[in-house]
Amino acid sequence: MTTLPHAAPSRWAVLADELAKLPAFFRRDIRIALSYRLGFVTDWAALLIQAFTFSFIGRLVNPAALPTYGGHPVSYMEFAIIGIALGGFVSLALGRVSSGIRQEQVIGTLESLLVTPTSTKTIQLGAVLYDLVFIPIRTAVFLLVTALLFGLNFHASGIAPAILVLVALLPFVWGIGVATAGLVLTFRRGTMIVGLGAAVLTLLSGSLFPLDLLPHWLEIIASFNPLAIAIQSMRETLLGGEGLSNALIATAELIPFALASLVAGFWVFRLSLQRERRLGTIGLY
Amino acid sequence: MQSAATTITVREGVFAGPGREPRTLPCISARGLSRHFGSRRALRDVSLSVAAGEIHAVLGRNGAGKTTLMRILAGLTIPHEGTVTVLGEDATRSARTLRSRVGFVPSGDRSFYLRLSGLENLLFFARLHGMRKRPALERAAVVLGSVGLEDAADERVGHYSHGMQKRLSVARGLLTDPAVLLVDEATHDLDPPAGRVVRELVQGLAREGTAALWATQRVEEIRGFADRVTLLRNGEVAFTGSVEALADEVPVRTHLVRLGGNGRASLPTLAELERSLAGAGSIASSGNHERGNEYVLRLEDGAVLGDALALLTGAGVQVLSCRDERPEIEEAFIHLTGRP
Repeated sequence: MTTLPHAAPSRWAVLADELAKLPAFFRRDIRIALSYRLGFVTDWAALLIQAFTFSFIGRLVNPAALPTYGGHPVSYMEFAIIGIALGGFVSLALGRVSSGIRQEQVIGTLESLLVTPTSTKTIQLGAVLYDLVFIPIRTAVFLLVTALLFGLNFHASGIAPAILVLVALLPFVWGIGVATAGLVLTFRRGTMIVGLGAAVLTLLSGSLFPLDLLPHWLEIIASFNPLAIAIQSMRETLLGGEGLSNALIATAELIPFALASLVAGFWVFRLSLQRERRLGTIGLY
Repeated sequence: MQSAATTITVREGVFAGPGREPRTLPCISARGLSRHFGSRRALRDVSLSVAAGEIHAVLGRNGAGKTTLMRILAGLTIPHEGTVTVLGEDATRSARTLRSRVGFVPSGDRSFYLRLSGLENLLFFARLHGMRKRPALERAAVVLGSVGLEDAADERVGHYSHGMQKRLSVARGLLTDPAVLLVDEATHDLDPPAGRVVRELVQGLAREGTAALWATQRVEEIRGFADRVTLLRNGEVAFTGSVEALADEVPVRTHLVRLGGNGRASLPTLAELERSLAGAGSIASSGNHERGNEYVLRLEDGAVLGDALALLTGAGVQVLSCRDERPEIEEAFIHLTGRP
């Protein structure tokens, strides 16, 4: 006979238990990623081809038409590469976060996860943890490699502030991704939702052209786009040599978006999961 | 809902709360469960209970509602009506504490990461059950061995056969030595020896006090394995009781009779015996060469055994003995669920 004390564990004990599970998710996904070696190669090849394409487009653009950073003119390649990197960061993160749970549903493991004593928040975070670590690293390495390949003039002092901005942007993207994951759980097909969202965010981000080229009303809307805030700050730090204070201001501007995005994201996801349990369709795809 | 200081004696299904005498409760208790999907009714007013140490089979054809019932008990689907408690907790709330004590073997064969090995998969799920890495690894190796997959531990699950994946699924259900085990069609893809291994594992757990609910459509496997059976037909309980009682559900139509000559030198021929029954039934040799006077008497629907025996006696034979030929469980299954 086994007698178990059924004292409810404290909130902190539960939190510690849940956090201890995250490395298992990370280990799982890194092993799966490593089993797709060709995927790594094609991903990097596609990125570099895109960079080459913009290096040629850059020859058509007069640097005088571009904003200056720290009082210095910049080439179109320098201007665009940060936008490309961050645009890629957002679309990849959004895609992975929104499809993480969907992926579990499609391969049939979602129910197996839900019957373990693991909170849905941990499952949601665990499903994307590897990507949340990998994608910023991929973005930073991409910027470094392109700077070396194309002789781009980045300020070394701007690297740390740029990383801060990148990290500050992550919760916003994550929240949007979680909300999308909830919608995907409900409507099953989510590629178009993610694609449309990423396209709108990118259009209004100034990643490939200065925002002042937009119609004035769109420019006003774009000024509230967290991606635009992040790109602007990263250009100012990496191209203009602006210091930590610039990144801190951008971070402060991003925090409300991040909070709103995370709260809304987890709310939508919880509603979707409840709906699936009510309908009994969690395992259907 | 359990209070913070409640003590649960898991394996014997005895639950005691503060200020209360311990009382024996079933480990699984479902009352009046109903569930539909759109206009299709999956379950209607289903009740069952499973005590600690009991293996309870849920039998039914495809679409009878077995999987829906299992998913409700696992907290994956919410019933539209009825209550369900597992280990004294409301299963529809799917509490974290409850999930840690319930093992679930789902019916599908797509519940693993195909790019990972069997061992890595089990290690991952063991970690989600809160085990530290080393104990998780040790436990994963033990349960892999118990289902005969130790040699395939490092192979990718994508290279496993359906049967191997099913065994891996059973191994995952055993990871935590659960107090309640829900097994949905575990032996569906298994060859007979592998199926027997899995049943023996479950029997071993039941001997330790685990309450096991075993959903299956393989009628033949429940005899000598399950303690009780609930038979579902179109989402409703068609029968619940012991396996022996299930067989009793079929009216006995076949009897073994031993006949004597009643002073005659020899028994009438089979044709003569058949004629004497006057359509009440048919008669044939039992095939038992050591008992040449043993016959199988099959009664027609509506015929009464006493009348048939009287007809035989009237034809000048003595009925020396008569015993029921018990029907197989499969006959009971067909009788209760109808022919497909």
